[in-house]
Amino acid sequence: MEYRATEITSRYLRSRKIPSTACSGCGLGMNHKIVIQAVKELGLEVPDIVWGTSIGCAGRQTFATWKGDGFAGTHGRVYAIARGLRIALPPEKKIILTVGDGDAFGIGLTHLIHSARSNADMTVIVNDNLGYQSTGGQYGWTTPQGSKTDSSPYGMFEHNLMSEGMDVLKILKGAGATFLARHVAMDGAWAVETVKKGILNTGFSLIHMPYPCPTNFGSRELGSRNQVNIFRWIRDHSAPLGEEKEDTFWATGIWHDASNSRPEFSQFVHETVEKIRRTGTI
Amino acid sequence: MKRFLETGNFAITEGAILAGCRFFAGYPITPATELAEAMSFRLPQEGGVYLQAEDETAAMHMCIGASLGGYKAMTATSGPGFILYADPYGWALGCETPLVVLNSGRVGPVSGITGAPGQGEFYLTRYPTQGGNFEAICLAPNSAQECMAMTVEAFYLSERFRMPVTVLADQLITDGFEDISVPENEEEMKKMGFRTWSRKIHQGPDFYPATDEIDIPPVVLGHNTGALCSDWTPTEEGYDIEEVEAHHKHAYRLIYKVRNHRDLFNHHYDKKFMDDDPDLIVVSYGTPSRVVNTAVSKARDEGLKVGALRLINLWPFPDEFFGAKTKYLAVELNWDGQLVREVQRAVPKDSEVHFLGSCGDLPTIPDLIETFEKVLKDEPLARKGWKLEAW
Amino acid sequence: MKNRIEIVASGFGGQGVVRLGQIIGETGVKQGLHVAMLKSHGTEMRGGYVRSQVVLSQDIIDSPMCESPDYFIALSSAAYKRFKDTVADDGLILYDPAFVDEVDEALACTQKAVPAKELSMENFDNALFANTLVLGFIARLVNALDKEIMLESVLEIIPKFHNRNRKAFQIGYDYQS
Repeated sequence: MEYRATEITSRYLRSRKIPSTACSGCGLGMNHKIVIQAVKELGLEVPDIVWGTSIGCAGRQTFATWKGDGFAGTHGRVYAIARGLRIALPPEKKIILTVGDGDAFGIGLTHLIHSARSNADMTVIVNDNLGYQSTGGQYGWTTPQGSKTDSSPYGMFEHNLMSEGMDVLKILKGAGATFLARHVAMDGAWAVETVKKGILNTGFSLIHMPYPCPTNFGSRELGSRNQVNIFRWIRDHSAPLGEEKEDTFWATGIWHDASNSRPEFSQFVHETVEKIRRTGTI
Repeated sequence: MKRFLETGNFAITEGAILAGCRFFAGYPITPATELAEAMSFRLPQEGGVYLQAEDETAAMHMCIGASLGGYKAMTATSGPGFILYADPYGWALGCETPLVVLNSGRVGPVSGITGAPGQGEFYLTRYPTQGGNFEAICLAPNSAQECMAMTVEAFYLSERFRMPVTVLADQLITDGFEDISVPENEEEMKKMGFRTWSRKIHQGPDFYPATDEIDIPPVVLGHNTGALCSDWTPTEEGYDIEEVEAHHKHAYRLIYKVRNHRDLFNHHYDKKFMDDDPDLIVVSYGTPSRVVNTAVSKARDEGLKVGALRLINLWPFPDEFFGAKTKYLAVELNWDGQLVREVQRAVPKDSEVHFLGSCGDLPTIPDLIETFEKVLKDEPLARKGWKLEAW
Repeated sequence: MKNRIEIVASGFGGQGVVRLGQIIGETGVKQGLHVAMLKSHGTEMRGGYVRSQVVLSQDIIDSPMCESPDYFIALSSAAYKRFKDTVADDGLILYDPAFVDEVDEALACTQKAVPAKELSMENFDNALFANTLVLGFIARLVNALDKEIMLESVLEIIPKFHNRNRKAFQIGYDYQS
């Protein structure tokens, strides 16, 4: 996870956390840069965003990188904290969460679903390193079936949220999310455009972004810590929506866009409370 | 001042509103459900927000979020939900987030009986989360009126110490009806001894100073102060750090900001017949203390030199009131004996400490008086089987 | 008045036992007394009960439990059997013979039958007003409770059928057992 000192890093990020303590060759920085680039292109400034992070590689490595206010939740709970915070923050303040796959799709899935249900205005970037890598490399809920990890030495054989036609984004769509997308870390400018749309949705947006982990996932599944191998492997197993091949794990692009089609949680709650306060009824 | 015949839940709701609470998130559980219902009715009238959460963990985390956004927030539950608060409780302790948590105890373990009172969370309110290296604050009212007062006080303490504060009640207090006086203005609040403290905003950059100071404003997000808060060991600015020395500073603060400001706790205890060095001091808190008070009054009429010491501030535990070298009897709503262990620890060496527990129901006055007599006469309190024949 | 008065009302679910206790309690509050009222539910299976325990006192109330009630209003056979022995020797059991068919003659306390359900049926062609009738009777029986304030509490807590409740209250008040 390397950053070159650029205009955008000095404008938005804290120098203290850069370079980060992430492993050499980690792809998380690519995702992070995509999000920061989107923020910049939208013309947002540091005070406009409160940044939340999760547990695990994605959370720990992005915590306190944002120059403005930041918070980190314990395992899976940041979505509930963000909903309470959403009620308290002025509507023009954006909440961006950079979280991991275990946090969002495992331990935090209930809270994530309820954030989608309530259409709370937040943009959740799920940085998916295909398992629990900060604890050494165990399989997660989006790890491709058959993958060898520390806790699946024979290959991951369980059904999970990305196997056999299943897609975690379907669950979130069913729950009421108003913007859902998927990109791999190599999608660059295309992903930036998508993240911008996600942030512009006044409601619940989630972008699922698999990224390469050479140290744990790469070394177990591909037998090498060479970052080139895992980068290529992820790129080869992704394809734009509609152009999927037989071995595509990740169909990329905007998956569901119902931006601004449902009332946003905190605005709706506050309007209703105000009505009750004035008239005693909804 | 308005008087009502109302429940403890009503009193807590009004107390919270008086203290400035404008956010409540909860999850339905008997006997705290009626409090959530009362909040859902009253808060919107005051411009406040009531949210029902997907589970207790989320409920308290949502309160954390609201508090981080500048709201005074509260949640309420019973034992099976309080155990799920372990996760957010630790977060709020570590990040020094002001919050109020009500636990209305029922008999356990686990779900037990929904309609029977219990005091099984005495130590759980001291250690509401894992990891240690913190002090906890817990207030235990014994009436509906005091529920209101202690809710107001809990908000006050939570702001000044910037930490979650637990109010520990039980099913009889929260569900029971009593005459309740609700103050209607600040003057009446003052007259009733209600203290309030408004939310202030920390301007940084040292959000977590390595001192025992209180009255440091908490972290409030959204004001572009550069505030940071996380579940990790913080530097003074709030960065996550893996250094033991940083953790020493953090732990020192979490423990000693409370320990070194004991003078702030106004409500240590309540006493009856304690001025003549009683031969037996009966220690209790919550609803049982009311039965104990009646029993002690009756025992005095019968010539037994018994006193009652009722604890309101459970944590930090008021060791200073256990200076007398005499006999003690802890009365609590459990059979395993929790408060009694703390009394044993606090009393002078060679003091005698006895225990009378009841499980799901209150002790009766004849039971209590008989126990006082036995203890005073040095007769053994042996338990025979599951039936409460003798202690 | 006696410094502490304990009143227990018990019957089965749906009979309005909690409301009955609430009205007595509200009367106490309106008279400036301290009041405690616990409501409890026994098992919901056969033989279960609902109980209100009301304590009225001029002083702050310590124990909210009615361990030896001065008055016990028995509205079911199960409740009668369960609590009759707790009533103080100088206390009083008030029971509705429509629900309590067997009375323990060995008890030291006074026992009065008030056929509230029957009177309610007779006067209103409806059993709905039995509790108000009982409350009227209690208002005369318990000196510490003021008749007019009690009626005011009845009308406040039962928002409907004010005329019939007024009448039922008076019938209960006038009833000679």
